[in-house]
Amino acid sequence: MRGLAGLFLCAAILLVLASAAGAQQAKPRSGKPASPAAAPNPYAQRFATLCAACHGANGRSDMPGTPVLAGQHMFYAITQLFLFREGRRNNEAMTAVAKGMSDADMQGFANFIATLPPVPAPPPPTPPDPARMKQGAELAKQHKCVFCHGADFAGGQQVPRIAGQHEDYLQMSLRGFKSGQRPGYTMAMGEAVHPVTPEELDTLAYYAARFPGAPAPASK
Amino acid sequence: MPRAVRVGSLIALVVLTALGAASTQAQDEPGWAKGRPKTDEAMKMAPVPAFPVPTPADQLPVSKFKLPPGFKVEVWASNVLDARGLRQGEKNNIFVSTLFVANKVYVIPESGKHEAKVIIDNMPLATGIEIHKGSLYLATNTKIMRYDNVESNLDKLGEPTVIYDKLPGGTDHSWKYLRIRGDKLYYAVGAPCNLCDPGEWARIFSMNLDGSNVETIAQGVRNTVGFDFDPKTGNLWFTDNGRDWFSEELPNDELNVVTQPGKQHFGYPFCHQGNIPDPEFGWGKSCDEYVKPAALLGPHAGSLGLKFYTGKMFPAKYQGAMFIAVHGPWNRTKKYNGVFVAYPDGKGGAKVEPFMTGFVENNTYLGRPVDFLVMKDGSLLVSDDHAGAIYRITYSK
Repeated sequence: MRGLAGLFLCAAILLVLASAAGAQQAKPRSGKPASPAAAPNPYAQRFATLCAACHGANGRSDMPGTPVLAGQHMFYAITQLFLFREGRRNNEAMTAVAKGMSDADMQGFANFIATLPPVPAPPPPTPPDPARMKQGAELAKQHKCVFCHGADFAGGQQVPRIAGQHEDYLQMSLRGFKSGQRPGYTMAMGEAVHPVTPEELDTLAYYAARFPGAPAPASK
Repeated sequence: MPRAVRVGSLIALVVLTALGAASTQAQDEPGWAKGRPKTDEAMKMAPVPAFPVPTPADQLPVSKFKLPPGFKVEVWASNVLDARGLRQGEKNNIFVSTLFVANKVYVIPESGKHEAKVIIDNMPLATGIEIHKGSLYLATNTKIMRYDNVESNLDKLGEPTVIYDKLPGGTDHSWKYLRIRGDKLYYAVGAPCNLCDPGEWARIFSMNLDGSNVETIAQGVRNTVGFDFDPKTGNLWFTDNGRDWFSEELPNDELNVVTQPGKQHFGYPFCHQGNIPDPEFGWGKSCDEYVKPAALLGPHAGSLGLKFYTGKMFPAKYQGAMFIAVHGPWNRTKKYNGVFVAYPDGKGGAKVEPFMTGFVENNTYLGRPVDFLVMKDGSLLVSDDHAGAIYRITYSK
């Protein structure tokens, strides 16, 4: 409950910030990531102001329904911003954020997100259920998840990192791809999840969120 | 004899069972993945999505392009996300269609700064465009529409007239390319898969401009998104994308010519590139039953737009030749692409040579050509959906 209230608050803050962001003047275009030696990346500052409240300063928060951005790829990040900006991917807060973005803004935010190193999930309160993890691994193999997301689920290019992503977000995304509510940038996910049952999708979300199923934290 | 019959029916039973299993499995795969080998290297290949932001003007790869002596290329328009089809109106406006990414049609005035203005938005697969007598014809994967008096209404096109809504839709080879000639609209419906029995599809059709009187022009055409009429003979030439997954190097895309409209079959799915019977559909067939290609365009080339050169600026040998946009393969390990030129040999064949290259660096696409427009001064526009740009090629001695 507390988390949900936080989400609404966060969305409200975003709506205000987003209009401010849209008013900012577009920066000169650059398709290349800023060199680390150069002046401070303006998008680091804008990320801190605009994105960190929900997604966390390091790209990982525990806000419900809010994806981990840490370790995400530039191509994936920019395609999602594009889908939000065009009104194709539906999320009120994110649409508000992306609506005023120029192409250069989308590129700048995506470049910055790609610099955030992966942040591993904190140890779960209870160790992963070995039977469910095993079932998840089998489903991931059967439905060829690894062919695009990689054996380590780290993704690459337009394919997101899913290792350690929040389970609720993964569940929502997979169900959305299956129902058609969540449009992909390409048709890959809609077609990939088409033959998978909802129960199996939930198992895949459970598995990827806990991947690689680290040694049980209880053994201390 | 009875024994042979029994063995025969046993084999038939086994085959039917196997087919049943195969079709169950096939339903789980997207159409483009059908026939893909189960090796790791092949399984990693999937269609390359275009980037959602055009390449900034100062980073476009024009300085890397290589053309024959005397030809120059410049950026004509940048910041045109997903630029695909090119057509020009009578008032000189240039119309640009898009495919998977932008869902838009743009207009760019011929004079001025060449900034693209969106005239149609939120229209998925808005790819097939043609201009005729002041109207813009637009074909998606489901329907063909007509916007009248379009160049006088660029600020607000209004509602189109739907002239045909019986296209099969879907996502495999369902987007369109259009030409109008002699009050007939030409379009194609590709095979709804990589490789399958395409039923009534995999054909080029023509229709009256009001959508009536649909006629088959050519059969056995897997997926053509580029065709044009030879100004000398009136014959329809078209590019055809060959089947996927046969091997890295085979089959080639085809350049074909229709000499007997409605009577010719170009081989798909039975025969590829005129001389390779399909390992599955080719049984009991011979490649000699089908029309041979006029030329081969390279393995998994992704040959798209085709336009006869009708200008006067380029040297005489380009008169009567056609330009072909090779978009470049996605399901081939080594990438290549470019603009090709094909010279008909007058005997049903054609000689093909590269015209503009340099779109690939480190096995990665910097640009991917799609379609052409011959400007009134004889220069040639080339669209690039990967970089979101339009280039202009000129010639001077």
